[in-house]
Amino acid sequence: MSKRADAVGIVGAGTFGTALGSVLARAGRRVILWSRDVSVVEAIQGTRRSPRLPAAQLAESLEATADPKRLASEARFLVMAVSSKDVRDRARELGEVLDGSHIVVHAIGALPAPANKYGTHLVNERVSEVLLEGIPTQKVGVLAGPALPQDLATSSYSSMVVASRFDEVVAEGRRLLSAPPALRVYTSKDLIGVELASALSGAYTVALGLADGLDTPVGARAVLITRAIAEASRLGQAAGAEARTFSGLAGLGNLLVRTQGDRSADYLLGRRLAEGIVTADTGRTEGARAALAAVELAASLRVRMPVLQGIAAVLTGKLEPREAAQQIGDTVAFEE
Amino acid sequence: MTAVMARDARPVREAENRLEKFNTDRERLLSEVERRVVARRVAEGKAGGDASLEYVLNDVAYCEIRRLEASKSDGVERWRDLSRRLLGMSEDDKREELRSLVRHYGKDVVGNFDPRVYKFATGIGPSLLGFLFSPTSNMKEGMNTLRQLDARIHADGETEIARTCAERGTLIVTPTHSSNMDSPAIGLGLTRAGLPPTTYGAGKNLFSNPFISFFMRNLGAYRVDRRLKFELYKDVLKEYSTVLLEHGYHSLFFPGGTRCRSNIVEKNLKLGLLGTSVTAYKNSVREGAPNKRLYILPVTINYRLVLEAETLIDDYLAEVGKSRYIITDDEFSRVGRILEFFRKILAHEGSVVVRFGRPLDPFGNDITDDGESIDRAGRIVDPASFVKGADGEVTDDDQRDAEYTRALGRRLAAAYPKLTVFHSTHLVARAVWDAVCQNAGTRDIYRLLRAPTGHLEVSVGTVLSGIDRLRARLLENPGFGAEHPLHTSQSAADKLETGIHGLSSYHTRPILARTNEMITALDLKLLYYYQNRTAHVPPEVS
Repeated sequence: MSKRADAVGIVGAGTFGTALGSVLARAGRRVILWSRDVSVVEAIQGTRRSPRLPAAQLAESLEATADPKRLASEARFLVMAVSSKDVRDRARELGEVLDGSHIVVHAIGALPAPANKYGTHLVNERVSEVLLEGIPTQKVGVLAGPALPQDLATSSYSSMVVASRFDEVVAEGRRLLSAPPALRVYTSKDLIGVELASALSGAYTVALGLADGLDTPVGARAVLITRAIAEASRLGQAAGAEARTFSGLAGLGNLLVRTQGDRSADYLLGRRLAEGIVTADTGRTEGARAALAAVELAASLRVRMPVLQGIAAVLTGKLEPREAAQQIGDTVAFEE
Repeated sequence: MTAVMARDARPVREAENRLEKFNTDRERLLSEVERRVVARRVAEGKAGGDASLEYVLNDVAYCEIRRLEASKSDGVERWRDLSRRLLGMSEDDKREELRSLVRHYGKDVVGNFDPRVYKFATGIGPSLLGFLFSPTSNMKEGMNTLRQLDARIHADGETEIARTCAERGTLIVTPTHSSNMDSPAIGLGLTRAGLPPTTYGAGKNLFSNPFISFFMRNLGAYRVDRRLKFELYKDVLKEYSTVLLEHGYHSLFFPGGTRCRSNIVEKNLKLGLLGTSVTAYKNSVREGAPNKRLYILPVTINYRLVLEAETLIDDYLAEVGKSRYIITDDEFSRVGRILEFFRKILAHEGSVVVRFGRPLDPFGNDITDDGESIDRAGRIVDPASFVKGADGEVTDDDQRDAEYTRALGRRLAAAYPKLTVFHSTHLVARAVWDAVCQNAGTRDIYRLLRAPTGHLEVSVGTVLSGIDRLRARLLENPGFGAEHPLHTSQSAADKLETGIHGLSSYHTRPILARTNEMITALDLKLLYYYQNRTAHVPPEVS
């Protein structure tokens, strides 16, 4: 294998991108980290530390660059680790330097903001579909699972799943992103399922934060989690995914890790909503955006999703947190 | 989309020449197929197990014995003998047997020239029917006939860019498939659009009529025997198609696989040999010829009436999803019926509309007017990069290539609805169908077939306003397709009259009957069949 074939390019030097790069570089993998922010690039190259993840000492095999051409020419395998708000623009920008041979796996657990594609009609798309509109290669995939940046940075045991329609993407993802014991990579062919599960787990993390903020008893909390996974599986099946994906790393795995302690912005948002610190909030976290986008997707596929609809109602100010919790509880009890 | 009319099309000399050299090329093509298939099978055979030559040969013998026994045909002993000899064969013997089988099936695919058929066909001269089946042979004598036929086949769409692509590279024409008439119709459509003739694979059952068989071969058709299920035959077929494309022979595939039973514009494409376009391009890139481009040309063939409609819709309704794959006893097998079809149907001006869409590359990418591939953001992209690895080397990955072909299939399926052309028969069928469904309170064909006859009567006024609304919706939504370009100025009443005339004149019983103020659906199955062409236009929301 050549140097280029063995390198991993990371698009976006935020906390996750930097943490992933850090764990891979420590395992000896050559990593090219692309950031548009020159100060971040200079900090990494000069001090081996990133202002976005100061705790991590970055190994020498990680190189930061602000030059997308260098990224594309030195790595064929790229991980897109940017915010869902930026994915459309970054994909287009990256598309200028990629060709049909590149592999692009995104690590964005969200549903992007709907594009105003056909006049006034907003269209819901998954991140991989947004990528395909901006870049020439069709070899796209998703990387998801319960690996938080702080765990990756400290080399704790973590696992993720890489999924794509292309066997090559899955095989290369496993080969290039595995850094045991810090990071193990599982594989899946269910691109739609892993993308939706990952995005919905953010939405349900808001719901769990909200439930915890309302001091929901543990029994009812367990019901909420199982009903969330069940309705997410139904939505997934309607969208062409496999139901079991939602109880895997990208779905249940993500949900469990994000709702332990105060480590996720989605979870904190839920708690703050319950405590009345913030009210209707439509765009502050990936999970909140995913909830609103997924409600539209569910409506278009005619899937009833009481938990998701409840949390979306709170986020849009249509229901108070307690009303929503009551409504979710009633519906769930009735349906089960 | 700029519709370029084909009336003043310029000839494509270079493209025509390609098929002319086919006969001299044939042996070379066959040898290439033989060399590649044998080399691949021998290399794979070294892994043993299911890939071993013994297994491959045994698979052929087993399938052939079963097929011949089932059809009570001769020749079964040859395969029993192979099966018996297999265990005692050396690897060299197996290789030789493999080579001879590949050659045997290769010859079967390419077909042989039969002097008896030739004598019969030339004896009747370049008749109208003969010309229809062989629009590009005997061009001089055929010109007069062509002029008479000129008005019957209407070709339009993105013909200019298709001609550019035919000159720059190799075309793969991918039409919708409704009828066995599609081959001659597309042949004529290509000629009318100034596009070159193509080679294509046709079911072996179509060759059973010697007259038709002759003309099909003259068109460069090769035979596909769908009864042969073993892998080695599929190998030969795919390799033959790949080699043809690599040698620059414009080809035609029906991505739907078989004739569409329901008449719904095809959505789930079987793809079949379409996958050979990626393989052929990959081989060209590997040989250092990345500019030997391939272009996939979506086309719809839109009939006012379909020759085999009755058989097809019966088959669809009898067993949705489990259609008989090969129908050998339909209207197409009766020459009298074909002649009647030509007399009654092709007598109408523009009774077949062949509409060409914008070509795509083998990976489903759009192209510029010059034939350069572009990504979805509109940037020019090197198609060769799609089959290359990290260091610019061409890589083999069947799963990747199959995924590319599926992406291409999705693009074709998305292109077909907007390329659909509606004749009066479709508009009238849909308007009547909607009114009948309204009466009966259901759109389910099986429930409608049991509906009381009272529900099958609708008023002329209802149908006329239905036609008006449908036409307005088509104008608003070009993605649904368009009405016949020669008849856009017709009034709803004229549409109704010509539509009813069509729907009641050709099939064995009339589909609709009109009294003064009422229209009655007499044949609900065929009404359903014709309205199905508009099935991608959703029902109106009241």
